[in-house]
Order: sequence, then C-alpha cells, then structure tokens
Amino acid sequence: MTTVDTVRADAPAPRAARAWRTLRSSRAAVVGLAIVAVHVVIALLAPLLTSYDPIAGNASQALLGPGGAHWAGTDQYGRDVLARVLYGGRYALGVSVAATVVSVALGTVIGCATALRGGWFDDVTGRVLDAVLAIPAVLALLVVVTALGTGPAVIVLAVAVVFVPQVVRVVRGAALAVVPADYVTAARARGEGTWSILRREILPNIVDVVCVEFAMRASWVVLLISSLSFLGFGADPPTPDWGLMVAENRTAITVVPMASVAPIIALATLVIGLNLAADGLSKAWGVDRITEGF
Amino acid sequence: MTPLVSVNSLSVAYRSGGRRIPVVHEVSLEAAAGRTLALVGESGSGKSTLAAALLGHLRHGSHVTGGSVTVDGRDVFALSAPELRRLRGRTVAMVAQNAGQALTPSMRVGRQIAEAGGDIPVTELLDQVRLPRPAELARRYPHELSGGQQQRVALAMALAARPKVLVLDEPTTGLDVVTQRGVLDLIAALRDELGLAAVLVSHDLGVVAHLADEVCVLQSGRVVESAPTRQLFALPEQPYTKRLLASVPRLDDAGLALVRETGEREIRPKAVVPEDAPIAVSARDITVDYGSSRAVHGVSFAVRRGEVLALVGESGSGKSTLAWALAGLRTPSGGAMSHESGDLARPAQRRPMSLRRRVQLVFQNADTSLNPRRSVGDAIRRPLRFFGTASGRTESAERARQLIADVRLDPALADRLPAQLSGGQRQRIGIARALAGEPDVLIADEITTALDVSVQADVLHLVDDLRRERDLACLFISHDLAVVRGIADRVVVLRGGVVVEEGPTEAVFSAPQHPYTCRLMAAALEPDPDAQPPVEATPDWADAAQEGEVWTDHGGGHRARRWRPAGTPDDNPTAPVAEGVS
Repeated sequence: MTTVDTVRADAPAPRAARAWRTLRSSRAAVVGLAIVAVHVVIALLAPLLTSYDPIAGNASQALLGPGGAHWAGTDQYGRDVLARVLYGGRYALGVSVAATVVSVALGTVIGCATALRGGWFDDVTGRVLDAVLAIPAVLALLVVVTALGTGPAVIVLAVAVVFVPQVVRVVRGAALAVVPADYVTAARARGEGTWSILRREILPNIVDVVCVEFAMRASWVVLLISSLSFLGFGADPPTPDWGLMVAENRTAITVVPMASVAPIIALATLVIGLNLAADGLSKAWGVDRITEGF
Repeated sequence: MTPLVSVNSLSVAYRSGGRRIPVVHEVSLEAAAGRTLALVGESGSGKSTLAAALLGHLRHGSHVTGGSVTVDGRDVFALSAPELRRLRGRTVAMVAQNAGQALTPSMRVGRQIAEAGGDIPVTELLDQVRLPRPAELARRYPHELSGGQQQRVALAMALAARPKVLVLDEPTTGLDVVTQRGVLDLIAALRDELGLAAVLVSHDLGVVAHLADEVCVLQSGRVVESAPTRQLFALPEQPYTKRLLASVPRLDDAGLALVRETGEREIRPKAVVPEDAPIAVSARDITVDYGSSRAVHGVSFAVRRGEVLALVGESGSGKSTLAWALAGLRTPSGGAMSHESGDLARPAQRRPMSLRRRVQLVFQNADTSLNPRRSVGDAIRRPLRFFGTASGRTESAERARQLIADVRLDPALADRLPAQLSGGQRQRIGIARALAGEPDVLIADEITTALDVSVQADVLHLVDDLRRERDLACLFISHDLAVVRGIADRVVVLRGGVVVEEGPTEAVFSAPQHPYTCRLMAAALEPDPDAQPPVEATPDWADAAQEGEVWTDHGGGHRARRWRPAGTPDDNPTAPVAEGVS
C-alpha cells in the first residue's frame, strides 16, 4: 500500500540512454572507464606513438637512463622501455579481456542454470565448484599452465578455471532472486526450455550484476596474468609484457629504475581504472538505483 | 479536552527528477484518547506517509512543505533528534504492516520486547496481548510463531513503553480472516483498557468499520470526507466515498456489483451454466506432498465450461498447491487430473503443446507476474508465438494489441514497461497473457488480493465477462468470501488440504453446514459497523469422516464433511484426517 502508481505519459527513454545517464551520474565510473579507454587507445595505437621496435635489442644502447632519444631509457638488451610499455598493454589487455569474457560468460550461464534448475543439479555443481575454489588461485593456474604449456589460449583457460566458480556464485545469488518471480513461473507453465527462460526472463534482469562482475573480475585477471608473466609462466620473452618486464629488470632496478617502474605504473593505472569502473558501475546500477525514481 | 494527536493542514512532498510531487496536501485531523481514528484510502492516497509523519518520520527524499503535527502538545517536526527518539516509543508507537518482517529473525522474542524499553515485565506484556504461556513464548524466535502471534508480539513491543498513541499501519493485512478478527478484537480491547488514542491506517473498509470511531477518507493526499464511522458508512456524502463503499463486495451479494459514478450499486445476475455444459477439467483424489508433509489430501472437483468454481480457504489450506498441480508446475503424488482433450498427470513441459495452452494461470501479484525488462506487448507476444496461435511478427503484434483491447485496455500500452502501468492494468495484462494461448481453463490464483477495492471490482467484472464471452472454465482461488460470493457458481471450502464443504454458492452461503465454513463466515468483516455476522460462530469440532461415510448430503450437490462437536466420544480413533496440517 505504500507504492505510488506512476503512469508516466511521456515515452520511456531507451534503455541504453537510461543506463548511460545513471552511469554518468557516478564520477568514479566515468574516471575509471576513461582510464581504461586511454589504455585501450594506447595499446591499439602503439606503433604510431613510438618509432622503436619493442623486441629488437641494441647492445650499444643498453642500460641507458631517461634521455632525449629514449624518454624512459633502455633495458639491459638496449630495448626502448617506453616502446615496450606501450606495446605491453596489447598482451595484458588482449589476454585479460578474452579471459574475463570467457570466465564471466561461462559463469553467468552456469550460475543462471543452477539457480533455475535447482535440485540435484544445483547441489552437484555447487559442490564441484566449492572443490575448485578450495585450491589457491595461483596454484591452480600453475597446474594448468605446467600441464598444458604456455600460450594465450592456455592462459585464458587457466583463468577461466580459477574465476568461473566465483562468477557462478555471484550470478547464482542474483538469479535466485529472479527465479521465484511469477513471470518465470509463467514461462515454466508454458513449458519453455531452460535456455529460453534463461535468455528471455532471467538474463535481462541480472544484466547489471553481470556488468559489474565483468569490471571487477577484469582487474583481478589483469593482476593475475601479470603475476603469471612475472613468475615466468605467462608471456614468453621477448614479448613485451608488463609482468615480464618487471621480472627481467628488477635485478637492474638500481641502475635503470624506470625499466621496472614504468610497467608497474602502467599496470597500476589499469587496475585502478578497472576498480573505479567496477565500484562506480555497482553504485550506479545497483544499490543507488532508487534515487533515480526508477 | 484537547486531542492527543492533531495534524494541522500538513503538506508533504517528495522530489523526483527535479520536480516536487505532493503526497499529502493540507490534511488536518485529530485523534483523542480512547478513540480510534481510521485513515482510509487506496494505494497512493498518502495514508502511510501521514501515519509515519505522526512519529516525525518522513521517507527518504520527502519533506514537509507546510502545516504541523502536534502529538501530546509537542510539534514533532520541531523536536531535536534525542527528543524525537524519546517521543517515539514512549508517546507514540507504531505497529507496522508485516510483523514477520518487523521482528528481527535472529533475536528471541522476549529480548526484542525488552529492548523496546519500559518497566513492564515481558511476560506481563505477552499476557496482555493474550498470548498463551508467555514465559515459554518469550524464549522463541520469530519464525517459530504464526503470523497472528507475530502481530501480537509486535503489539506487545509497541505497548512496552506505555505509549499514549498507537499508530497501526495495515495491522492485519496478510493475516487470515479468523486471525485478523482476533487481532482486531485485541486492539480494540487494549485501546479501551489503556486509554490509547489509536490511528489505524487501512485500505480494508471492513476492518475500519469494525474498529474505528471516526474515519478520514483520503484520495491522492487530500481528505475527501471525515465523519464518525456510523455516519460515514450509513450516509456517505462525497461521490468518491460512495463509490469506494459500493465497490466493496458483500457477503449477501448474489452477483457482481456494478458501481455507477454516483455510487449506486446494481447487482448483475450470474450467468446460468447450462446443465449439459461439458466438464472442462476434473480432478479426482488428488494428493500433493512437499517432502514428507502432505499439502493436499485426496481432493476431487470438476469444472464445467462457462463455470466459475471457487476454492476457498486460509493460508496453508492447499488451494494454491492445487492450482500449481493443475498447471503442471507440481506433480501430484496421487490421484488423477484430466482435461477434455487429455490427461494432466504429467508436468507442463511434458504435456503436448495443444493441451498445455488450454490450461492457463493468472497470478496473485501483478507486480512480479510481468518481466520488468520487457514491454507488456512482448509479454503477450511470447505465448502467441510459442503456442503457435499467431504466426509471423505482424500477426502476433496485431493479435497482442487485440488481446490488450479485449481486457479493456488501450492497445497503445503495448510499448510500455510494466513499471509504467498501475497495479490493475498490470493484472489485466497478466490476464491477456493467459488468454494468448486460447485456453478453455483459466486458473485465477488470488488475482484480486493485492488490488484496491475499486480496481478489484473492475478486474472481477473482466473475469466474469471473459468467461461469458469465451465460455471459459474458471478455477477461482481466494480467501475472500465476499469476492467468492459475487463471482463463483460453486464453492469448495478447503482446510488443511481437505475439502470440508462444497456446493452451489447460494446453498453454501445461505446455509453453511460445516462448522469451519461457519467460522470463516463469522470472521469475515462487512463494511458496515452494525453488521451482524451472517451465522453464529460455532463451537469447536472434530472430524468424524470414516471410510464410506465421508459426507453428509444436503441436496443439490451441497455436501459437507462429517463432523462431531469436540469432546464427544470418538468412535473412530484412527480418523484419516490429520488435524493441524495447516
């Protein structure tokens, strides 16, 4: 009896426009997304931004400090640090995005399905995922990478193994709130299949949770993949990659500090950007939704 | 004598999207000690906002734009935060709508009451709200109590600091009729005993007629009419009040009431179901189990084409479970269900498409029955395409608009999202969606419970029109006897998953044979302060049905389950019905 029936006469704003408006109201989300966008643009335009080859070494130019020719100096093989940092975003972003998309997509489908089907299917999936969650993330990653060898595809698979169970948990929780709704019951009474109920009735109602989950997982994945590279299980030398650069140059950190610090700055800004975006998104689309009068 | 509560031309508005929307507009009212003032209105009338304002509380985003609220000589909106805290509880106390949610689930009842403050021992308070064995009850958790008991505990909590004013926001909504009657009688007794001024907020005119001394009718934040209860119910002055009163279904209506603009009622006679109408759907000895507990014990019924059969009972009587079984959402553990064109024993997904579309369900809560992310047109097009009753995009769009028009709505609403429709409009869309499969059996599960009375009357008319036009067999599930009286041709009364009485509506209502039916009818509240219950409440009873002698027949298809007064010797100690299944 406390709800006010508001029948708005004006045509509803398109969903995308409304999503954008709520998003813009959150400064954190805008700043975060801007930082991520800058990283994406730099990675894409790296060949235009620097004339140096990130891979080819030049022994005569090794271990130079920052200067006119090399703004961020060179590493022990005489490669330009700035060029390697700019190109390094390609690997980090590419593999991270692929791994996040795969993890969140798989996790969403499994999470929705377990919430919808319930019963033994839910129980069995839940226990299997619990078992996977019990293994420390880096250990699980290392096991997969050692067993299957390195390479972008294997890294994506390894990250999926680690993150799918976590995504499943969150999405299942969100979907459980939707499943008892009468419109889902109506679809069941029509005899619709699991997939069509998932796609038509449940997914549209948890899409905000999935988006936030995506942004949050992305920052974890970036860190995890860089850690792998740092440990020597990710990108193979001489691929320009931030984690690998830190590992290669940490011995020379007293001589050319920029060679280690530059990739760290790049990595840190990307992760901060992703975190801000995730925080802002969850505020804009989640708990604070009521303030918009929706 | 000065009134305890006085509201002087209070206005409250809230801000939304940069605009100021008034929710309460220059409302004035007074409540004196020992009296009950009722605030009546439909959803959006501002009655809950007004009630909360008596405690100096405003919902987030709203603010007072004018006027004042004085309680016990103090202006509540001029008080400092600590003073306001003292006012709440000690001077004014509130009992919220849903006691189940108002109590903390992880705290024992006794501690929660003690926390409310005051010097009165908890057991004494529990005793005061007429709860049996207070000492033992205080040690229980809220989930171990029934809905009625929870509401009594909430009352005890409100009374703990001996307030002078009690604000009751829909105190019995969601309770069963018999429980509701008990809680209302208790509130009236406590008010007299403690000399409280009670402010009752309700949409239920029966509750108001039963409890209030004065009534204030609100509409969109304004006072429409304010008068002593007897006068208001006997001689309403404003057309809105007249319409509101006339919209309430009564236990003695022989059909659905048509309410004119001026508030006159006209009873529409029920449609006559021909004797040879084919049976659309029938159930025989259905039992449904939830794990080890049995929700439905061998229920049988049949619905003919064009007929409305009502399933009546309190919560836990198994009426909704039966509806779900029929719709194929829950497989019965025994018995048989059949439709004209096939067997209904299998779950929905495994029924043939042609059978599935013929049995359709309409839900209680219109808010959750439509997907909030899909337009209402989409909600109707989906079953049209799914069942193949319309082929192609343009045809299904055309049919969806036609169906929206069939439920007396503007087809232009097809592009709206459910959140942009009112509750009544949403419920109509729910009906249109059910009609999309061209069903011949419509299961209506408490479809009017969540609606305002005037909207409820419209939706009932729609259902009645549709069954005439489309020759639908309708299984109408309700706990509201007055609604059932108006729409149903036959009634089945359920208690604890067992049919206790069934027969033609007229016969059952004019001469109920089973004590449980009598008790339900005695507890029903009519919108008339002088109404006498249509039947005397009967003494306790016990089931006396035996193998081969289950029913007493009263002619014309009216029969009741055998019973005997409680306390008489039991000649069949292994009676098949478990008491207290509910």
